[in-house]
Amino acid sequence: MKPVKIAMMSLTHGHTRKYYQTLIENAKLDWVASCAEDPRAKETYELYQTGVPCYLSADEMFERHPDIEAVVLASANDKHLAQMQDCARRGVHVLSMKIPTFDMAEYDAMIAAVDKAGIVCQIELEMHYNPVVHRLKKLIAEGAVGKIVSVQATNITLSPVWAFPWQGLPEASYGRRVPLKTGDARCRGGALCDHPHIFDLIRHLTGADFDFVYSSVAPNLRPELQVEDMLLVNGKLKDGTAFLFDPSWSRMEERLKVPGPGWEVFPKRMEVNVTVVGEKGTLVCDCFGPNVYHNGAPNDRYTVQYTYFDEWVGMIDEFAGCIREGKEPLINLRWHRPTIAAMNACYDSVASGGPCVVG
Amino acid sequence: MDVESMNTALQCLREKYAVSAEGTLVVDAGQAAEVRLETDGGAVPLLPWRVERRFAELKKMIDGGTLEQVSTLRFAVMHGGARLEHLVYREFDLCEWMAGSPILKAFAAVAGSKVANVIVTFANGMSASVECSAALPEGAAEIDRHEIIARRGVACDRVVDTQVPQASIYAFTADGVKTYTDTDAELFGFSDAEIWAVRAAFAVLKAPALAAEWKMADCGVKEKVTQTLACAETCVPAVFSEEIQA
Repeated sequence: MKPVKIAMMSLTHGHTRKYYQTLIENAKLDWVASCAEDPRAKETYELYQTGVPCYLSADEMFERHPDIEAVVLASANDKHLAQMQDCARRGVHVLSMKIPTFDMAEYDAMIAAVDKAGIVCQIELEMHYNPVVHRLKKLIAEGAVGKIVSVQATNITLSPVWAFPWQGLPEASYGRRVPLKTGDARCRGGALCDHPHIFDLIRHLTGADFDFVYSSVAPNLRPELQVEDMLLVNGKLKDGTAFLFDPSWSRMEERLKVPGPGWEVFPKRMEVNVTVVGEKGTLVCDCFGPNVYHNGAPNDRYTVQYTYFDEWVGMIDEFAGCIREGKEPLINLRWHRPTIAAMNACYDSVASGGPCVVG
Repeated sequence: MDVESMNTALQCLREKYAVSAEGTLVVDAGQAAEVRLETDGGAVPLLPWRVERRFAELKKMIDGGTLEQVSTLRFAVMHGGARLEHLVYREFDLCEWMAGSPILKAFAAVAGSKVANVIVTFANGMSASVECSAALPEGAAEIDRHEIIARRGVACDRVVDTQVPQASIYAFTADGVKTYTDTDAELFGFSDAEIWAVRAAFAVLKAPALAAEWKMADCGVKEKVTQTLACAETCVPAVFSEEIQA
């Protein structure tokens, strides 16, 4: 397979650095250029010494590298529409971050642009390329627990806002300032926006879409944030499956500008645990464990040192394969739309104080 | 081990990552890894534990300064059906690799043919305890623990307050409890032993200089295991010559 000439754009998303190794090592790809959103993002990028040239303008990057076939849009959510339309206009395939947009009109404009240009647009939901999730899907498909009746899941992390400030800005994260509810100074755009994975995963595991959701926000652990950091969600799918999700930023962090050792205060900085109750049994699943553990430098705190973070390897494989073979990615814009609609319904539920039907 | 499928996977990795060196895995019951790698340059003994993620992370903690001034390693493995000398071999090699120093002296207390309790001293002054048992029931899941104790920090592949390995997935059904731990999406479906053997072979093909390093380690560790287990008969600690260290 001819390697796909690929570039990265913006470099302000929290997942940016996770692409570097796989873009360099995978022979299906030829990483030719990057462009940073601003000098700070460029400076951080240069710490990793990838050897790939970095520009401060997308136009300059495309001008100097007209052979770019695909890009990873590693940008804030409010940049996605313009960037995706620009890429579509250029006929460049797109790997979008996990939230294309929360504005459903913008979302449909993205679908239209991608369809018109005939490009591949894959959404970064990396959990699908996690080996534990592979096993979970396989067990369920084989009928290990029978028909699913309930799913409980966590997608809890530390808050990335100190390293990636746009994730704490309602306009950049949610797309605009929408108060959480009457009398609450906080706006939409916090922890929920960071954690779509379990909303997506339950649809894959059950084959059903959301019926209704109920969501409640708690007092923030970080009162200075403009956005929510603690919330819970429950509800039902259209096939009757009940669920309870925790998509919070419930793990405290050191306020590092660049993520690195010592970022976490709670030992495990990120957890996706899933319990699937079926008619014939129960599966209890930790998607990121077991690991190794230490209490050494820099903070002498008990810390989980993850032993695998390879989701990006499989995801990029799929992206390159779809480009060369003209296939539709598993997580494409159309598939992902009901997930975003459900997350919006969670915010509507917070605002109304009652359950919300997912439209 | 399904060596034919392992070789297919190895070739897929070579193609995916554009690794030109060629090699084939061959069954070898004399190896702790149960396979060896045949290359144009000859046979290469595989040390799969050195590429196993948890051990790679522990090693990084030592080399990267997360742990400072390591004093003692506490390693243990319990297995059903393995050869005792293979268990000791793996732990000895892990010891030397983690310590970054050769074993200078070892004393083993051995019970029958299935259990060995060894105290090790390294050339750099560190110590290690190595508990090996091949006495678990046949088919039982391996239980192991690798703890590194330093002046600054303790690291371990087992979480605090636990004695046995955790799994990623527990399935509770009318048939009882089954566990699953998958760590490698590219080699999904292979057993752990198969995965790490393929990964080890791939590491050698990717960095051919590793072959000489592993051959040397293999020779030294094999000899040390033999002498250590033999010393249990004489009750005299085994002290290793510099020739073996080389």
